[in-house]
Amino acid sequence: MSGMASFLKARNAADSPPVDSIPGAALLWLIGSFALLLLPQWNRLPWWLIAACVVLAGWRWLAQTGRVRLPGRWLRTGIMLVLTGVYVGTVQGRFTVDTAASFFVLAVGLKWLETRSARDFYVLFFILVYLSAVNFLFQQDIFWALLAFGAIGCLLIGLQILNAPDLPDSMKSGWKRLGLLLVKTLPVVVLLFLFFPRMAPLWSVPLVSGEARSGISDSMRPGDISNLAQSSARAFRATFGGPAPAYRDRYWRGLILDHLDGETWRQRDAEPFQRPGRVAVDGGIGPLASNQYDVLMEPTDQRWAFSLEHSIAVSDNVFDAGEDLFRFRRPADSAVRYRLAAEPGRVQASQELSPAMRQRNLQLPEGSNPRARALASELADAYSPIGVVNELMTRFREQEYFYTLRPPAMPRDGIDALLFDEKRGFCAHYAGAATFVFRAAGIPARVVIGYQGGDAGAGDEYLIVRQYDAHAWVEVWLDDRGWLRVDPTAAIAPSRIEFGLREAMAEEGSFLENNLTSPQRYADFAMLQWASLQLDRINYHWQRWVVGYQGQSQMDLMSRLPGGIGLRELGYITAGLVGFALLVAGLVSAFAMRRGTRQDGFRRVVSSWYRLCEQVGVPVRSGETPGVLADRMAQARPAIADTVRIFARTVNSHYYGSPPAKQADQDAQRLKRLLKTMKRQLRRDQQPVSRTSQHD
Amino acid sequence: MGMIKKLVKRRWQRWIGRRIPRADVQVFSQKNIFILPTGAGVVYGVLLLIMLITGINYQNSLIYLLTFVLGALFVGAMHQTHRNLSGLTLSMVRAGEGVAGDDVPFSLRLSAGKDAGLAMRLSVEDSELDSVHVSSGQSRDVVLPIPSAHRGYLRPDRIRIETRFPFGLLKAWSWLRPASAGIAYPRPLAAPEVLSQVDDGSEAKSEAKVAGQDNADLRPWREGDMSQRVMWKRFARSGQMVVADWEGEQGSPHWLDFNSFPGTDTELRLSYLAWLVSDRVQKGARFGLNLPGDVIDPDTGPVHGKRCLRALAVWGEKPPREQDTLAFGTRKAVDDIEQEAAV
Repeated sequence: MSGMASFLKARNAADSPPVDSIPGAALLWLIGSFALLLLPQWNRLPWWLIAACVVLAGWRWLAQTGRVRLPGRWLRTGIMLVLTGVYVGTVQGRFTVDTAASFFVLAVGLKWLETRSARDFYVLFFILVYLSAVNFLFQQDIFWALLAFGAIGCLLIGLQILNAPDLPDSMKSGWKRLGLLLVKTLPVVVLLFLFFPRMAPLWSVPLVSGEARSGISDSMRPGDISNLAQSSARAFRATFGGPAPAYRDRYWRGLILDHLDGETWRQRDAEPFQRPGRVAVDGGIGPLASNQYDVLMEPTDQRWAFSLEHSIAVSDNVFDAGEDLFRFRRPADSAVRYRLAAEPGRVQASQELSPAMRQRNLQLPEGSNPRARALASELADAYSPIGVVNELMTRFREQEYFYTLRPPAMPRDGIDALLFDEKRGFCAHYAGAATFVFRAAGIPARVVIGYQGGDAGAGDEYLIVRQYDAHAWVEVWLDDRGWLRVDPTAAIAPSRIEFGLREAMAEEGSFLENNLTSPQRYADFAMLQWASLQLDRINYHWQRWVVGYQGQSQMDLMSRLPGGIGLRELGYITAGLVGFALLVAGLVSAFAMRRGTRQDGFRRVVSSWYRLCEQVGVPVRSGETPGVLADRMAQARPAIADTVRIFARTVNSHYYGSPPAKQADQDAQRLKRLLKTMKRQLRRDQQPVSRTSQHD
Repeated sequence: MGMIKKLVKRRWQRWIGRRIPRADVQVFSQKNIFILPTGAGVVYGVLLLIMLITGINYQNSLIYLLTFVLGALFVGAMHQTHRNLSGLTLSMVRAGEGVAGDDVPFSLRLSAGKDAGLAMRLSVEDSELDSVHVSSGQSRDVVLPIPSAHRGYLRPDRIRIETRFPFGLLKAWSWLRPASAGIAYPRPLAAPEVLSQVDDGSEAKSEAKVAGQDNADLRPWREGDMSQRVMWKRFARSGQMVVADWEGEQGSPHWLDFNSFPGTDTELRLSYLAWLVSDRVQKGARFGLNLPGDVIDPDTGPVHGKRCLRALAVWGEKPPREQDTLAFGTRKAVDDIEQEAAV
């Protein structure tokens, strides 16, 4: 063992050149940037990978300070094999963008142990830049974006330190230099961003993530939606062209569950399989008409879109899937904006329920919940279908039913237990039970899930619908009126429908009780609410105008500019822009140079004096003082002897006196006058300046 | 192949020579600054392309934005790197003197203009000086060791000044093509114990006119005369450069004589003499130096020693002409000549 250890040590010594070729400060910035870039991925990466990254980067830093050595080749290979093995074990052959991203992080982590030279530093720099781009695939909030740009800034500071390690005060001047650079290039960046043609994807890569997103799913067990009620994550935001509908009318339909399977409500027809591909993320351009509304939906990895009742599709990234539901053409793997229009007057397509549909909406599993069935047949005998509905709602309203986030467990014949014994449940319980009773009474009925509610965002610009607004309700078919919405929750806890879950749970105190970090939990702190809404507003506009600036939005913007700009013209504009930017950079530097030389007008006058000397046949020798040159010139041309000596004296006193700038300017002016006099004297000397000897 | 390469090289050198005339002072401006991406800069460009493709494929505006920011930054960095060098003046303060085969220190001065010059690297052949900073409006003197190959005049063809600041993605460089040359003394070799009693050297005797200080031969200054032999006092009075040709007395033990080592190779003799000069200076002895065509009167002290060493260094050598495009006396110059000979 000890032999092995000493062998390893010997290899270490042979393998490891000193690690001090990278300045410590530069390395620190690099590590800092790595940490910033890992933050957005913290809940996406396996915990061991984050731990490994911390250890590996920490190891590298300790090696920099000289406390440990970097591992030799053998140890390094060992670490690499172990971590790769763990990785392969974790992903188990799933290949998604997620696993690719975590492999990328693993590669960065391993690279730390090999960072010895400036070249390695650059390799890490490039990888980290790309890592920040990869982060944008998953996180597009303005805060994460700022964080990523901050990390890029750290990287660039690191590069500056790497390139000038001993520059004093390098951090401050580095940020200043970087800031100035960014400010100067900002116009070009903005123009490029606006005009760079947003092409269609070159090849289609689905952004399928392995992780389950929070949100409603396509099946519902009685306890399901109450889990969502603990989350204040945003589901979507909606902007209305006209006034927003009243709170109680904000029913956002997502899915219809028409098949009861034991205790679980499902869709009878599974969602048709669709080739994976990218969803069109921007839909709906131009101002909203008064009956239209835009929905900016967070990614769900599902194809369903949420819509108010009686809507029609406006943007072409959603389509009407029948039954007043809308679907995307591809799963929504990123934030999607779509536009719908509410058409309340629109009659339903078929006022007839086909026998197949009727049968489907009367389906019940055999032999469960006998008491509920008994209640149903009792009601069906006594009332017409509409009477049955009203009677059941009255029962919910008048008897002691409770709307609660802490329902008791009802393992056997859950609907019976809910209706007759416990009488405590959440929307999913009541919607399922009501549908069961209606079906048992011979009335076609189905469960609809989606969201109900939505609170105004900052400045009332839009509504924010959160996961805790998730809701389930019932639709029944009445032969003369078509599908009709019936919400048992409205009967049991009207405040849920009128004001939202917070009000409904005020007494119980269970609103977001497990979610300590949500700002929505602390409604009493007005400042906190205000800040949270302001942040949301910033994010909304960021999503809307920057993140969502894609093909359609670009075309919309371009159509407002004169000149009918198409994709091809955009290409030209972009090329022109790049050329123009380069030209401006060149011109600016040329101009700066010219100013520089003008400020040193002194040197220019002196060199034109040298030219004059050459012209009159007095060659300028290198290293000669102005005085000596003047003497020789005076000898050659006695006519200008005095002038040239004064000239030389002025030059001398300027060079040795290091006068202030203003004085320098005056000196230069004086020299210019003297030079003119010299030339005049030479001409008057009757001996014309020999043009043939002139060479410059 | 070799021919074409040589032709291209010669063309290139002539072009550089036109752009950057030989002078001890060089002001850098866009006329003479070259700028290209470094290897890292090229990789950076490829990375941006990959990022752009990623952005297009995932229709991700933020990746577009990041790509544009980094691209613009590259252009900005180009400007910055260029500006870092432009406006800077590099001048040769003193061409150095040293022993042949060693690195001879040349004193250079960097003066920044309006902009600071940061992280400059000065290099000649394989010798370099890293991380030289000059703040704006300031000057800074540095010493750059220049490798010498043999005794004589030493003048690098080009002293390269390069900067990769701020990000190392671009390098801007230019050259100073010095006009003045340094001097490499003969490498001292311990001389065999010969005292320069030169009574047997008949030819030396016939050549050497024994002449005292009084009848020194005065003549006007000619190209190639050692500046030490100019009568500076007279110059200060009259402004005329007059050179004194003395022929010192010979045969005394105070004389170190070129002819003391009969049958020895010239370079070896000079090396012996160089050693002897250093030896005498160290001992504080009074000595003169007698070289064919160049005699230095006996004197003592390090200044005198330097003068003797210089005389030894340039004996029989022609100073490099201004127009010479090649390096002079550096290691690479010698290698080049050998290569040329081999071709």
